[in-house]
Amino acid sequence: MKPERTARRLEGLRTAGRMPNRMALQLKRLAIGQNVNDGWIAKIVILLVLTVIAFLYVRPIIDMISTSLKSLEDLIDPVVGVIPRHVDPQNFIDAWNGLVYPQSFASTLTIALFGSAFQVFSCAITGYALARLQFPGKNVFFFLTIVTFLVPPQITIVPLYMIYQQLGWLHTPFVFLVPALLGQGLRGALFVIIFRQFFLSQPKALEEAARMDGASAFRLFFRIMLPLASASCLVVFLFSFIWYWNMYYEATLFLSKGFTPLSIRLSALEMQLIGNQSLTFGADAGKDPIAEGPKMAAAFLIILPPLIVYMIAQRWFTEGIERSGMVE
Amino acid sequence: MNSSVEKRKAYLLFRWKTYGVGYLFMLPWIVGFLSFVLFPVGWSLYNSFNKVSITSDGFQYHWVGFENYYRMLFENNEYPILLITYFQEMLLMIPLILIFAFFVALLLNQKFPARGFMRTVFFLPVIFATGQVLMELFRQGSGELPFMEQYRVEDVVDLYFGGSVAEAIVSVLSKAVIILWYSGVQILIFLAGFQTISRTLYEAIRVDGASPWESFWKITYPAMIPFIGLNAVYTIVDLFTYPFNPVLKVVQDNMFKATTGYGYASAMAWLYFGLVLVCIGAALGLTYRASGMGGGRR
Repeated sequence: MKPERTARRLEGLRTAGRMPNRMALQLKRLAIGQNVNDGWIAKIVILLVLTVIAFLYVRPIIDMISTSLKSLEDLIDPVVGVIPRHVDPQNFIDAWNGLVYPQSFASTLTIALFGSAFQVFSCAITGYALARLQFPGKNVFFFLTIVTFLVPPQITIVPLYMIYQQLGWLHTPFVFLVPALLGQGLRGALFVIIFRQFFLSQPKALEEAARMDGASAFRLFFRIMLPLASASCLVVFLFSFIWYWNMYYEATLFLSKGFTPLSIRLSALEMQLIGNQSLTFGADAGKDPIAEGPKMAAAFLIILPPLIVYMIAQRWFTEGIERSGMVE
Repeated sequence: MNSSVEKRKAYLLFRWKTYGVGYLFMLPWIVGFLSFVLFPVGWSLYNSFNKVSITSDGFQYHWVGFENYYRMLFENNEYPILLITYFQEMLLMIPLILIFAFFVALLLNQKFPARGFMRTVFFLPVIFATGQVLMELFRQGSGELPFMEQYRVEDVVDLYFGGSVAEAIVSVLSKAVIILWYSGVQILIFLAGFQTISRTLYEAIRVDGASPWESFWKITYPAMIPFIGLNAVYTIVDLFTYPFNPVLKVVQDNMFKATTGYGYASAMAWLYFGLVLVCIGAALGLTYRASGMGGGRR
């Protein structure tokens, strides 16, 4: 800070004719600051803008929670605002039963947990090979990795369905776990790129030193490089976990019966509720109060586990992103 | 002579040992790529040139060449129109998402009270945005901007712009929440990008007497161009492969229709995919040029 101060003083001397007194200068510095972001005015403005945007983000979630806690009378009554008159757990009971929660929770957790763990592993070794190992055709492989990211799932989904059917994997977790283990899981290419960038940024001397000591490539990777990449691993794991948890499109085709994840149960529950509705109310079932409560409760039950995971891992997550391979 | 051959052999063996390690590390990915990407993609491309009918003993192929593409473009004119309107909308959305994410990341990068809390809130979309829980919220209407109806924004826009411009603006405004929710990962990437700019640069330029405004345009913006490109590509992929988008829904519907069938739907998907690739190429080209004809960091 010291050179800044002297610079300020010099400037002050130059403009001595117009120099305000010390107090005013200090006040001004406090309010506007020397930088864009030190002054109080700037801080308040930033905070205000962010609060408004944050409100837009949080509002649907608040709506969801409040709707799920309302009883039917509260939902119909326009006088009742965000806070329900009395908390009614009935929606949650309906949602719990409708989702077959314990069972579908277990299915979703199996896919998300193993899928993301496998993806961390497979994408890390692929990323490492692309960043650090020498072999012909490396650039071609990297290019192909990017291409896999761009292919819309709709192009491959029917052929994949046929493949899985031939293999007898339909309605089992294999449809997601095997591709994840082979580096082709949900948005796997993105994770390969993240790992590649991270390993590229590590100093070469590290590997050379280990090589000198006679470590094999595998030892080197598992003992030194992978532990170094723990921040990237965490970022990839969390992204992958959440994307697998929320995955819907692929699941509707591959896991429609038997091993059913939560997201599929939600649409089934919705069908059931709207089905009942159309008999009594006719059209416009979208905003129906009877369906709305349980649906919102179900949505909340689905979001809750990743939300808890995120709350716990949040600190390392944001730090990890800043420090690790998301960069360039 | 003999020894030189042996030397060469030994050298090749050595090379192959190092290459072998590389291929061994790549092996899972290669197997996965061949079986879960290349094969399905090739199959679907083959299908797009066929009339595919499903019979009791599997698929029946009938080679028709480009007929599927021809029919889709000239006989059934709904699909090209749908594509054009959708791409128009997306071309408006993508810059908006990028600008919004950049702006928010810029603010989140400043020092202010409750920064940790704000960051937590702004990463929420990363959790929700992929799920169909979010769709549920949109359907309930809690995703809409609260002031849209209140201030009759639509009428105002209509008054000042009129015609198709107003329509485009209103449709973007009504999707403002999608812009909001689809900029989660982008904000993260930008935030990570800001960390790569060294602080000393800012100090140096300030000593030289540049205003914050100038230092943004002279340092922050050029250093962020690669990240803007990365984000553009990510946004394009994210929006265009989004399973609930109207084009892909049409593709999906045609897959199981008796008159069109899977081959026709494949052709539709491939035309769409080609257009998306053109978009991505354009985004990358623009970034490349903006970062100084490849003199930048990428």
